[in-house]
Amino acid sequence: MAARSVLKSVCTSLAGLKLGASGSNVSALQRINVPQLSALTIQSRGIRQVVEKQEGKTTTVEGRSVEVPAGPQPPNPTAKCPIYRWNLQHKYNYTDVLLLSQFIRSDGGMLPRKITGLCAEEHRKIAVCVQMAHRAGLLPDHRPKLPEGHVPKKAKPQLNRVNQAIWLHLLECHHSVHPGSQ
Amino acid sequence: MSSFTRSAQQWATFARSWFVIDARMQPPGKIATMCSVRLQGKHKPIYHALSDCGDHVVVINTKHIAFSGNKWEQKVYSSHTGYPGGFKQVTAAQLHQKDPKAIVKLAVYGMLPKNLHRRTMMQRLHIFADDELPEDIRANLTEELAQPRKIPRKLSEYTQEEIDAFPRLWTPYVETHMHTQSALKHSKARINALTTCSAHVCNTAHKNQYRRS
Repeated sequence: MAARSVLKSVCTSLAGLKLGASGSNVSALQRINVPQLSALTIQSRGIRQVVEKQEGKTTTVEGRSVEVPAGPQPPNPTAKCPIYRWNLQHKYNYTDVLLLSQFIRSDGGMLPRKITGLCAEEHRKIAVCVQMAHRAGLLPDHRPKLPEGHVPKKAKPQLNRVNQAIWLHLLECHHSVHPGSQ
Repeated sequence: MSSFTRSAQQWATFARSWFVIDARMQPPGKIATMCSVRLQGKHKPIYHALSDCGDHVVVINTKHIAFSGNKWEQKVYSSHTGYPGGFKQVTAAQLHQKDPKAIVKLAVYGMLPKNLHRRTMMQRLHIFADDELPEDIRANLTEELAQPRKIPRKLSEYTQEEIDAFPRLWTPYVETHMHTQSALKHSKARINALTTCSAHVCNTAHKNQYRRS
């Protein structure tokens, strides 16, 4: 996805060069293209951390790739959706916060399906479970950020809520979820 | 038990016990059923309605009670002062704000049999909004009852080790060398096409290749 977008930017830049500068040299094209091509030749681009170093008058901004150690392998690696990969299709509930927290943003909203790779029905189910978890107060740190300087007028009463809607097939086999424990 | 003396057996059968229930994050209706069963004495095999065999029940942490659904906003408690225009209706949230013990008290009152014994049974029910109990009641407690509803763990209550032990289900898209190799070939071919042909003598094939990006 990112590769395609980078290519798109390369091609649009090429288009601009071609249409704009009719007499532009090959060397000009090459000069502009080379850095982008060399960027693509880095072997593996994972998640990177931005590190800023200041030495006197020069500031160096570096993106250091973080080595993520390979975790346990899913029991069904060929499936497309992460839930199907770990065989958790009907086995999670709104109480399995460790699972749900992997699919939410820091302010409590769901991550897009295109990024997480979930299939449509599982994305909907997880969204519903996340809503139930928020209502039950199980995700206290994933609250939307209030604008700066906002002071709540009246302290809202802290009312506890209980969620009762559990899918019927979970009533028989409800136990704490751990993938790979089957 | 058959090994007890007669007086000990008599005492074990007929003594009035004191139960304590923690109502934190529990639905008040479930707490109330447990209380009413024990206040009437229906948990004993020697039960009879006239034998006054009910026990004492102490309910703590009633201000942390949890309703399911939208009952905090929708459940209405009504009363009438007796005077004209004295019909009052308050929601559960408003009543809980005014008096944190009232919801449990009204729930138990409604679940007891509607006879003259009800008032004496309510006198044996002791409700406290938080943890603090007077010393004499604390000295009398004999048994703690299990909470009817299992409280789910919040994300903040998990330790960092447990969070790390849980495997990551998905990883963000990572460009590997394979992707960049094919992309590199594609872009090199395109660049060759562009540099070899001039602006006027462009082949349609090259143009299409270029546009298909």
